[in-house]
Amino acid sequence: MSPARSPTARHARWQSVLTVAALAAAVALPVVLVSVGGGVAGHELASLEQTGYQLVVSAEGLHGIEDAHADEAKILALPEVAAAAPILSVAVDVFNESGNVSPVLAEGVVPAQFSPTLGPTEAGLFPSPLPLGDPNDSARYDNGSYAGRATLDVLLSSTYASRFHVQLGQQVVVSPTINASLGVRYNVTGFFGTPLSLVQPSGAFAAILLLSNLQVLTGYATGPHTVVPDGADTIEVVVSPSAADRSSVIDTVARELQALFPAYTVTTLSSEASQLQTAAGVLTGFYLALSSVGLTVGLLFLALVLVRRVERERRSIGIRRALGVPSRSIAGGILQDGAVLAAEGAVAGVAGGYLVVQGLARWASAAVQEAARLAVFQPPFLAELVAAVVALSAVASIAAVRAAARLDILEELR
Amino acid sequence: MNGPPVPTVELRGVSRTYAPGRPEQVQALRRIDLTLPAGSFVSVQGPSGCGKTTLLNLLGLLDTPTEGELRWDRTPVGLRSDRERSRLRLESVGFIFQRFYLLPTLTAAENVELPMRALGLARVSRRTRATELLREVGLEARAHAYPHQLSGGEEQRVAIARAVANGPGLLLADEPTGELDSGSAGVVLDLLGRVRQARSATLVLVTHNPEVAARASRHLTLRDGQVVADRTEA
Repeated sequence: MSPARSPTARHARWQSVLTVAALAAAVALPVVLVSVGGGVAGHELASLEQTGYQLVVSAEGLHGIEDAHADEAKILALPEVAAAAPILSVAVDVFNESGNVSPVLAEGVVPAQFSPTLGPTEAGLFPSPLPLGDPNDSARYDNGSYAGRATLDVLLSSTYASRFHVQLGQQVVVSPTINASLGVRYNVTGFFGTPLSLVQPSGAFAAILLLSNLQVLTGYATGPHTVVPDGADTIEVVVSPSAADRSSVIDTVARELQALFPAYTVTTLSSEASQLQTAAGVLTGFYLALSSVGLTVGLLFLALVLVRRVERERRSIGIRRALGVPSRSIAGGILQDGAVLAAEGAVAGVAGGYLVVQGLARWASAAVQEAARLAVFQPPFLAELVAAVVALSAVASIAAVRAAARLDILEELR
Repeated sequence: MNGPPVPTVELRGVSRTYAPGRPEQVQALRRIDLTLPAGSFVSVQGPSGCGKTTLLNLLGLLDTPTEGELRWDRTPVGLRSDRERSRLRLESVGFIFQRFYLLPTLTAAENVELPMRALGLARVSRRTRATELLREVGLEARAHAYPHQLSGGEEQRVAIARAVANGPGLLLADEPTGELDSGSAGVVLDLLGRVRQARSATLVLVTHNPEVAARASRHLTLRDGQVVADRTEA
């Protein structure tokens, strides 16, 4: 049996529902932002940790590296270095035997140096050794003359091969422009990467060629009409396996590289990871600061609802106090009411945030879907968030508690 | 359940002035001297505005005197802190109001449990005692009814059960039958008499009704904030 609901009771019920909704919205925001942001940052960190190289040599800004082959040799001469892989990334057009043409991101590599830069996960996605003919890319480079014999082999990404049904042994024309007549015919000697069925449309088409082949094809090589000699984007450096976990050795190699190439930037992956963690921490702080605005509004709403509740229950509070119920017990009841509403709002917010992320992972644009799928819901963070909201409800309850304490018993019993 | 021993209540030169020093100043009680021995049954009568309810509020520690002293067993209690007076009210005073003042969101049983809950009694003990008290006032079957589902007489009986829940030594009833028909009023007064006797409690009954007042053994008459008659039946 329950008392019939009066309009006032219904109004009060709506106020409570709206308070819970306001707090839920305020809590859902940081749940979404922090879980997705943290997930993306965590994914990036995991990617960094899974690479096979420990240092990167690059030029400032968008400038590339010159004399990549020569620099590779200089780096390999350092005692603790096991591999130095210059990498050039250029967009090209690939024409296949079926007559299709598609833009492809081509990477020029030195096979013997490139393979050690692959981490344990990545390594399984590439044939070993890379079937590009010349493991050291020395034949065509020929001490910078680029006059040596070319091995025209290319590896295609499995996404490309699946999409255009390219088979091993077929040929494709790789061209720096959409004009096939400016291209060079290559033999398809292998495939790499995750199958199309797994990466879906988000996997870009890619190709791997010998560094010198790509340099010549796209002009990143010394020649009669070019001024950028032996170009690359970066050189990834692998230290010897025994030193891979020793940060002191990696730092020493970094200093040696910096001394060797004072104009270039030398970064260690651990420093990149640290920077990424710092950035993720700053972002999390920003997300929480942003969310605190919503939370403040929600708590103000809670404070108002509790004060209204005290106003509505003046007579009841007066009766309780007349009967001898201590003020602190009445204050405790108000705090409890606030805490219950706050807890309901916070838990609903956590659940709502989780559902929003699941919805984004399912129905949002491809980029957002990808980010949402990386979301990580950390129970300690969620528990702290709920606890913080419940704790803050005590602050929101202060006005109502004071209003109840100030009630004149005799006035309320009149 | 028995509370603390029933106190002898004394008022020594007690005055109560509302809005002192202001134009709207009202002197509700003027230098009252009164002793209420433990277990006495006192009626308080007088015209409206003579200070009956103010006297009751002072006796029940709901209000504080502006002058004079209120003592329980010779111990001054009138000017104690709000917290201490709440505690004394909870343990030693049972209020019965004209308009019952049951909490509308609680059932009859929950209303009766309220003072016991404030006293910190365990749930099972509260339930058991609330059931006993409701049985005593003849409302065991209405334990789960809300106040709006009860008649006026039933509400006042629940209020009496609530008033005696903590076994108080001082029962204060302000026009307890003022809103009841004569039949219900008789039932309520009989009940009040029984619970007072069962607990040897002091009962102070404010009323306009001479028939109701006649049930008491001592009769006070107030006029303009002063006791103008104090008659004890032989």
